[in-house]
Amino acid sequence: MSISLKRARAIFVKDYKEFSRNYGISIVLIVPILFAFLFRTAGPSFPGALGFLLNISFVLLTSLAQACLIAEEKERNTLRSLMMTPATTMDVLVGKSTLVFVMSAVVLAIATFILGYEPASIWASAIAIILSIILYTAVGTICGLFSKTILEASLAIIPAAMVFSAPPVATILFGDFAIFKVLDYTPSIQLVNLLNIPNASFTMGDLLKPLLIILIWTVVLTIVSVILYQRRLKDE
Amino acid sequence: MDVIRVERIRKRFKNKNALSEVSFSIPKGEILGFLGPSGSGKTTLIKILTAQLNPTSGQATVFNQPVEMMHQSAQKMRFGILSDNSGLYERLSIDENLELYRQLYDLPKTSIDTVLQFVNLSEERKKKVIHLSKGMRQRVMLACAIIHEPELLFLDEPTSALDPVNSTHIYKGLRYLNEKGTTIFLTTHDMFEAELLCDRVAILYQGEIQAIGSPKALRKQHRENVVCVELVNGETYELPINEGTADQIADWMKRGLIERLESKEPSLGDIFIKVTGGELL
Repeated sequence: MSISLKRARAIFVKDYKEFSRNYGISIVLIVPILFAFLFRTAGPSFPGALGFLLNISFVLLTSLAQACLIAEEKERNTLRSLMMTPATTMDVLVGKSTLVFVMSAVVLAIATFILGYEPASIWASAIAIILSIILYTAVGTICGLFSKTILEASLAIIPAAMVFSAPPVATILFGDFAIFKVLDYTPSIQLVNLLNIPNASFTMGDLLKPLLIILIWTVVLTIVSVILYQRRLKDE
Repeated sequence: MDVIRVERIRKRFKNKNALSEVSFSIPKGEILGFLGPSGSGKTTLIKILTAQLNPTSGQATVFNQPVEMMHQSAQKMRFGILSDNSGLYERLSIDENLELYRQLYDLPKTSIDTVLQFVNLSEERKKKVIHLSKGMRQRVMLACAIIHEPELLFLDEPTSALDPVNSTHIYKGLRYLNEKGTTIFLTTHDMFEAELLCDRVAILYQGEIQAIGSPKALRKQHRENVVCVELVNGETYELPINEGTADQIADWMKRGLIERLESKEPSLGDIFIKVTGGELL
């Protein structure tokens, strides 16, 4: 599967111009920063603040923005026009995902800074967040490809939010039921686990297990999004 | 050399045949027009030829490659398409839309100026698409389809939203492209457009090609064997072409009674009605 960086860059620049002029969607950029200020005010009384902030931001910023970008292209027939150009699947997906990736990375870095988080391992946390951004971008791509309009994409994000962001809250609300053990393997809980590792004592295994699980989710969902995109090249 | 070759293509959607055993070919440099009403299968045919849709059966090749290969970047460099499924980025200007296509096709910057002149939009290039009329949008979409001067151009009712002045401008441009070697596959339900542009016309009705040939050949084929005569006193006659009619006309001519004399050639519209039993809608 080939990629032309020149074409991917052209799509990235086009998306940047479109996104920056679409105030309806670009407003999602300030949501994580608002949450960060809010949680900082709560202080130590909200110990899982960063995990919650990141997981909710991945859905409200990363997935939602990506889903809307893709759905809008479908709604206006520009995605099919793009598919008729020499741009390959990878050119389009990389070009479109790079904007959301860069925006998410910058905004979440600012939000984390505002919150004042000091991780046990900065590289492990950074890798987990980067993988999560890729993962939730893939989720957004899938939601966008299943939607015909921006409105549908906004609604399609809700089940994704339930599956990917709600598990840490569910385990807090409903306690230690056996049925919720399966939720331990969701990327959101693994991210929370990683972020909650104490600074003083941890092993490499403590870091690698959540990273591996998040990586598996990322690879699987990225492959699904690429396959789905390729199927959308054709009508039924 | 045939640029497109289609053999017994059939496409079935649930209980309806969109295309039934359609076969034709387009040699390099030809403009072939598919005439047909809405739902006759014109767009389905374009989608199959551009690999947006799989046929139920039959074979098609474009540039001597199976249509499935049309997904490859190298093949996509060789054709352009303007269809119902074409779209523009509304928050971007005409220039910015074309800049995207210029970069995707890896073209020099001058290609934007050239194509804007072609579609007569040089003055409006800074305008955002959202502020353009339907006709202007259609011209921008055409510009996106031809910016790379493709070898093969698929046009699905290219002038449907244009006024006569802009349509004429586009016709001239398409003729110019064709003279430079671009093969054009055109669908339309505009008889005038078909007659003016196309080297050959295929009449597609209910998924089947009912007639195919040059407009001149089709007219000849479906010509009624009569001549129309209008006399100076206002009387008109439709007479069969035979020896008796020749003598009669010679006599009228000697006496200076003929105001107008013409063979009765059908228009493409007449031919369409004759071969399909229906009208273009």
